[in-house]
Amino acid sequence: MHGHAAKDTKAGNKIAIVGNPNVGKSVIFGLLTGRYATVSNYPGTTVTLTTGSCKVDGEDLLVTDTPGVNTLIPMSEDEVVTRDILLNDEVKLVVQVADTKNLGRGLQISIQLAEMGLPFVLVLNMWDEAGNRGLDINAQKLAGTIGTMVIPAVGVERKGIKELRESLSVKRYSSLKITYGRIIEEGIKNLEELLPESQISGRSIALMLLAGDASLKPWLSKRITPSDINKIDNILLDVQNRFHEPLGYVINQARIKKAEKIVEGVMSRSQGKGTTITSKLGRWAMHPIWGIPVLLAVLFLMYEFVGVFGAQILVELLEDSLFGNYINPYMTLIAERLIPDQFFKDLFVGEYGIITMALTYSIALILPIVGTFFLAFGVLEDSGYLPRLAVMVHKIFKLMGLHGKAVLPMVLGLGCDTMATLTARVMETRKERVIVTLLLALGVPCSAQLGVILGMLGGVSASATLIWALIVILVIFIVGFLSSKILKGESSDFVFDIPPIRVPVLSNIVFKTLSRINWYLKEAVPLFIVGTLILFTLDKIGGLAVIERIANPVVVGFLGLPGKATEAFLIGFLRRDYGAAGLFSLAQQGLLNPNQVVVSLVTITLFVPCVANLLVMIKECGFRTALAIVAFIFPFAFLVGGVLNFGFNLFGIKL
Amino acid sequence: MDYNKVRDQFEEDRIDELLEAIWMLREEGETRIADVRKRSEDPNLEQLLTIVESEHLILTDQGRFSFSPDGEKRAENVIRRHRLAERLLSEVFEIEEKQLEDHACELEHTHVLSEVVVDSICTFLGHPPTCPHGKAIPRGECCKRFSHDLKPLVAPLTELQIGGDARIVFISSKYHARLDRLSSLGIVPGSTLRLHQKQPTYLIKIGETELALDGELAKEIFVKKMQHG
Repeated sequence: MHGHAAKDTKAGNKIAIVGNPNVGKSVIFGLLTGRYATVSNYPGTTVTLTTGSCKVDGEDLLVTDTPGVNTLIPMSEDEVVTRDILLNDEVKLVVQVADTKNLGRGLQISIQLAEMGLPFVLVLNMWDEAGNRGLDINAQKLAGTIGTMVIPAVGVERKGIKELRESLSVKRYSSLKITYGRIIEEGIKNLEELLPESQISGRSIALMLLAGDASLKPWLSKRITPSDINKIDNILLDVQNRFHEPLGYVINQARIKKAEKIVEGVMSRSQGKGTTITSKLGRWAMHPIWGIPVLLAVLFLMYEFVGVFGAQILVELLEDSLFGNYINPYMTLIAERLIPDQFFKDLFVGEYGIITMALTYSIALILPIVGTFFLAFGVLEDSGYLPRLAVMVHKIFKLMGLHGKAVLPMVLGLGCDTMATLTARVMETRKERVIVTLLLALGVPCSAQLGVILGMLGGVSASATLIWALIVILVIFIVGFLSSKILKGESSDFVFDIPPIRVPVLSNIVFKTLSRINWYLKEAVPLFIVGTLILFTLDKIGGLAVIERIANPVVVGFLGLPGKATEAFLIGFLRRDYGAAGLFSLAQQGLLNPNQVVVSLVTITLFVPCVANLLVMIKECGFRTALAIVAFIFPFAFLVGGVLNFGFNLFGIKL
Repeated sequence: MDYNKVRDQFEEDRIDELLEAIWMLREEGETRIADVRKRSEDPNLEQLLTIVESEHLILTDQGRFSFSPDGEKRAENVIRRHRLAERLLSEVFEIEEKQLEDHACELEHTHVLSEVVVDSICTFLGHPPTCPHGKAIPRGECCKRFSHDLKPLVAPLTELQIGGDARIVFISSKYHARLDRLSSLGIVPGSTLRLHQKQPTYLIKIGETELALDGELAKEIFVKKMQHG
């Protein structure tokens, strides 16, 4: 996100933080730079690079936080990012963060860093958790074995950070080395002769190629001749032919064996503290039977906090009391005094006024809902519940061509679909990313919209709410199922790290929630204002009436709604939650009967979330795919609404 | 004892050894007779080469060799015996790697292990696709039938009972990417795991890492149960 900052500093002062997923790289990054990168107890939270600066001995260092990887041979998009920074950037020092209790997995990365010929320091984070489990690691001996600095640390308690800072000015190269057997070693030698100069050793690049890293191809073809690439392909084929198992697997096994041997030499085990309440809770949350009541309890608490406390109590407080009784009357009064012209007066405080409509809506209605949702989401994320939820819903997602991992973007989508579309990168294949993006855009209402919708439906009946929810869920499911059949490409395997349940750190949650609210408001409020201006302009020039007439056959004829609903749909193209808010005010004016409320809400729920979401879709999936998704969604939304209206009429259902 | 028969048996064994060497060279992509000469330890190789050629087990052309259909079949059998024997010795008797080769060589000949016995061993071991060194074990009739009559010692993770400890013996997947991904998470032959649950997804613990995985993957991970205590 902040990659541009990297360009304007001089080379040779770059520090990259790398390590396995969910070992606390972002915490260490925050402590070094004072900058916040999203921290959570969920593997794969960091999907892009974050850069910050850090001063050591008067020297300005540029520190980059990278997405977690289990091996430096990338398997998904976020992993490519990490490898590429080591491959292309001139990195002065790598700070490798490892989870102390899973030292073996960390060492597999150390081995690869050593092979790359990069100087690094190894941070053994979560030192306390290892101790609690009865694992004792001799850090000094480990440092001797791998030939570089080893620093025990507890990131969240700031332990070990001082030592880490001091170590940043020293370049230390690891002495770790593996020989992979005659055939592979010969292959490495032959490949090295053909490889171009780079920041990392030829040996490491040769090993990546042997391990089947296809993402290196474009990098190579930019640097060497096609005939050399041909030669490389032949060497790779020749070496692979001599093994029954894939080379990547053979190479990984050699690294794992080496890592295990090192661990054996430095680790001793004693009796741990035994099972704690948190670990029991963690187990229950994934249990085939007990997992369900846990899930229901979590949903209930979320609803009470976001749906009742946020969407009802806080909204009422802000909308009715603050804006209704104070701000809006006061502003109207000021406008009356200061702005003589009726036109400009309306611009600020009229029916479609910036203050009376846009700001009231965004601050009074959206802020409390979005705020409480992100707070609750932060707790879920940091506690480690989300990966367990992934286990619980895996089978349902599998039917939609996805797997449990998709739970993160889907649940985050209930907060903000745009943010969630960015995290779709945790999915490994393009097909999965497209399905997640499509489902987010189509059916997952963001918290702002959800707040408006639930507020509106609450005024109708419980059965109306149920019908709306069932139809939206059904649509998500059917579209997911069909697109998994229609879309070409593969689905990836579900193998997923389950981090331990942890008690969330309050300050982290507060920080995270604030930065998310900040992002949300920055993205949403300008659109509210633009939308309001469009409505205002159309209203003033009489355009609204024209558009309403054009849309009449669809809105009135097909959906069975009053013509004024067109306004809401029109603004729904910009932001669907804003559209829903328009419907809300129609309902408050008594212009919609319960059937019409459900039909109009189902239709607007299925709209593309907002313009910002559309832009992110284009960025992540490409213009053509994004266009195809949009071209599908809007007609489809009206179709579902129309069919629902038809069904209500056919069976004479009156809600 | 019939002297001639014993002598023949010895010669048969030598032929087996030679075919085995040639097969392995072919696996490595070498098909030159010169390589056979380098590799074979037979004291009287030239005579042996004449025999296999005259018996139409091996065909030579411009200094390169290839198997005849008969030779191919026989070599395949020898390799299958040898590598299954290696698995048996390392998995069941936990014989050290250094001694593995010698013992396996004894067991690779037809007169030691009959076809029926070999198939039983193969079934017992869960029809392993590779030997402990990762080389392919040619498939036999039993692998196609995949019989469950004999309770296998090595079975897919799906057969392990919940709470059980097991050691991964091999992973039988035709997808390269899958093997890579599993190995990057520490799921490799030799790792020990504990199975926590099977529903809604499989949940295993390797070292201090807890991993959730889909049933489809669990089916491909073959494990040997470990005794407690």
